[in-house]
Amino acid sequence: MTVETVGFWLVAAVLLASSLAVVLTKNLFHAVLYLAVALVATGVVFLLLESPFLFGVQLLLYAGGVVTIVVFAIMLTERLVGERITQTSRHVVNGAIVSAAVFVAVVGFLLQAGAPAPVTERPDQLAGLGRALVGPYAVTLELLGVLLVAALLGAIYFARADD
Amino acid sequence: MTLPPLAQAAIAAFIVLNAVILMVAYVTLLERKFAARMQSRIGPYYVGWPHGWLQPIADALKLMLKEDVVPAAADRWVYNLAPIAFLVPCVLIFATIPFAPGLGVADLNIGILFFLAVSALEIVGLFMGGWGSNNKYALISAMRAVNQIISYDLPFIFTALVPVVLAGSMQLSEIVSAQTGLFGWFVFRAWGLGVLALLAYLVATIAAENRVPFDILEAESELVAGFRVEYSGMKFALIQLGEYAHILGTSFLGALLFLGGWLGPGPAWLGPIWFLLKAIFVFLLITWVRWSFVRIRVDQILAISWKLLLPLSIVLLMAAAFAVAWSGGARV
Repeated sequence: MTVETVGFWLVAAVLLASSLAVVLTKNLFHAVLYLAVALVATGVVFLLLESPFLFGVQLLLYAGGVVTIVVFAIMLTERLVGERITQTSRHVVNGAIVSAAVFVAVVGFLLQAGAPAPVTERPDQLAGLGRALVGPYAVTLELLGVLLVAALLGAIYFARADD
Repeated sequence: MTLPPLAQAAIAAFIVLNAVILMVAYVTLLERKFAARMQSRIGPYYVGWPHGWLQPIADALKLMLKEDVVPAAADRWVYNLAPIAFLVPCVLIFATIPFAPGLGVADLNIGILFFLAVSALEIVGLFMGGWGSNNKYALISAMRAVNQIISYDLPFIFTALVPVVLAGSMQLSEIVSAQTGLFGWFVFRAWGLGVLALLAYLVATIAAENRVPFDILEAESELVAGFRVEYSGMKFALIQLGEYAHILGTSFLGALLFLGGWLGPGPAWLGPIWFLLKAIFVFLLITWVRWSFVRIRVDQILAISWKLLLPLSIVLLMAAAFAVAWSGGARV
């Protein structure tokens, strides 16, 4: 086994365990911390796939940004001091069935697609990604920007309505 | 005989880690001396001769010998893991910094993105400490930290991207090699854009490091010591180490992005020394601000970020992009 294989199985185990812990733990704050672990582990999977750019973006946006905002939301909405806040996962069985179905679908897709051709040469991914974003996908990128602005305005609207 | 690459990387990481910890220890002494001079005092003097050279070592020994107190109501696991979760990202940011051509742990082609991404993880350890202590001062401090980090991460990233746009690369060694020549440092280039970007970078750094005048999350008069109020002994030392390592790492990044990194007169082996001097210069600028201003209010901090610094950094980034596009790839 190569170092990459060992690393992959280790990361996969951490990722699976922390993802399960996110939904199964009772303490809401612990769930957020497990989520951070799961997001960082996902980033490490990208790194093992030799895509350091996605690793950086994953850490910056998800582990750094999303986790911070989730903690912010918990701190603003829940009682801060005193009794521990709890999360109760309802519909555990239904959720397990749905995730098993998704798993089977993904595995089926991968089996149908067959083994990918081994990559021999690696072009500069970063430059390629940049050209793709301002070239063929420019309109998509702009639309995503508009979508995010709309979401931001909507959030401001709902926050105002409470006053 | 050549070692396998994994062993080489491990040795390089070990050397850099120890060098960083030593530098961090002595940077605290430098800051105490500097602050003392600003206040017409002498500062640490008696431990070690002359001028308290052994003070950081004595501090470290003292903290190691202190009793480790865990509050009875603390969330044990979170409380105990928080200093480590705080320290690791702060030290890991040094992994991509090249101290001279080819002298560093890993010169990634996404170097600056790695730096920004890893340093964003620091906040996780911070609110683990604030939450796990189960102390209202610590919790309020963690809330303020989240508030502040949401506000100052974006200006910090945008200003750090200005040199990336000017150099046309995210690799830190290439950003340095784009700054060669007389007045080639980015702080002198692009018709004043560089200076403005450096100033914005310094303000965003001071805010992101939670130092005076932006230190509401550890405001001694109201929150005692903020999120680390319950920590003692070695855990406190780890948090302090992480904080100073982060400041030093950001100073190195600032020196690298705007002040030409290891470039300077003299033979090539002087490079790391030039780089260290420039990083200490940036560190002293931050310290100078720290000991000159008073703490400002929460709403003022947020207003500075959203109404001034964020628009300024976006305009700077766009202006840099226009300058590069207009000159058609030539040096600006």
